[in-house]
Amino acid sequence: MTSIEDFIGLIDEELGLQVTAEQVEATFDQIPDWDSVKLLWLATALEKAIGRPVRFADLLEATSLGDVYRLAVATV
Amino acid sequence: MASPPEIRIRSVGTELPGPPVDNDALVRRLRMPSQAKDWIEAFIGTRTRHFGFDLETGEVNDSLTDMGEAAGRRALKAAGAEPGQIDLLVMGTSTPDTLLPTTASQIADRLGIDSVPVYQLQSGCTGAMQAMAVASQLLRGGGYRNALVLGADTTAKYFDLDAPVKSLNSGAQVATVMFGDAAGATVLSADPDATGPVLRSVFSRLVGLNRAPGHTMNWYAATKPDPDEDIAGEDYKAIEQLVPQMSVEILDELLAEQSWKAEELDYVLPPQLSGVMTGKIARLLAQTVPGAQEVSCVLDTGNTANALPFLQLELLLPMLRPGQRAVAVSVESSKWIKAGFALELEG
Repeated sequence: MTSIEDFIGLIDEELGLQVTAEQVEATFDQIPDWDSVKLLWLATALEKAIGRPVRFADLLEATSLGDVYRLAVATV
Repeated sequence: MASPPEIRIRSVGTELPGPPVDNDALVRRLRMPSQAKDWIEAFIGTRTRHFGFDLETGEVNDSLTDMGEAAGRRALKAAGAEPGQIDLLVMGTSTPDTLLPTTASQIADRLGIDSVPVYQLQSGCTGAMQAMAVASQLLRGGGYRNALVLGADTTAKYFDLDAPVKSLNSGAQVATVMFGDAAGATVLSADPDATGPVLRSVFSRLVGLNRAPGHTMNWYAATKPDPDEDIAGEDYKAIEQLVPQMSVEILDELLAEQSWKAEELDYVLPPQLSGVMTGKIARLLAQTVPGAQEVSCVLDTGNTANALPFLQLELLLPMLRPGQRAVAVSVESSKWIKAGFALELEG
């Protein structure tokens, strides 16, 4: 996963959730159908995609999908 | 005309089946990802729960009848009451062992209770209050002296240990880690010689008009499940939004009804949804009754629905001193029911 487009594709594939680039930077509460369960499965999918562990505690600080993406990229 | 008798809580008995199951064990058995433990701690907050089935094999070791019998037997023993002294049995559950005979009548049979009215209410988190309200009204009517009131639930029929958790809807995933199994019972008495705290008030009230259900549990028999219909669902966003405010309203209502000032309340028993939600609600209730001690069990027992207030009462009664007062609050999100009770140990 090297781009935000890859990240959006991963969200669609793993969570069945279609988000736009604008929604990636919106807070979680502005994304229809977003919930903490999806954060869990996104964390799992991210680990597979980047091949390294993603600390769930770090993801708890995220307020948007963009934050999650940057955390994942920073981990790589 | 004589005033109706006071209703006293003579005793409480509970049953938590099997060993406590912590989040590590649950996540491992359900083959959830390692981060699921952190997710449970952050968003659910429950530490342990008990199950009436073997977590490895799924084999049911403690049916609802088994748990209810154990809780009922403990309540009878603690009250020093013989089965023949019970004039009435009322039970609340959402998960009976069989639709017929009722689990309430099976428990009565196990306990040696017979030739008395036995009622089973189809209920959720407010089931204990519903059963206590029905029993209290019948006791106040004068025809009965002692009632055994039970509340119990089991997740066994709703737990598919082999189904990938990710395949469940979000609400069902939350429910999987939030609920546990338990039974509780109390002996309520209109006997003027009975001892124990006085049940000053108990109520339950449907407030679901034009509100979509917040919690759904489906059931099937000979017909096959509709593949498009979930076996269970939980609108936890509606629950997060509505339950805290309703809890405050219930507390306010009971205090006003009893003409109790906020500083005169010693204990508050908040709804036991999950560790995180109960913590939020308890902090909200503390704004009204800052001096009241919270009595909660959900961190250790999980959400056991119909059994919850009995588990809280079991924690409360040994602490309750003469002159002290307590209020219990419960909200059922199924079709939205407000419920609560107020009690006082005279002194």
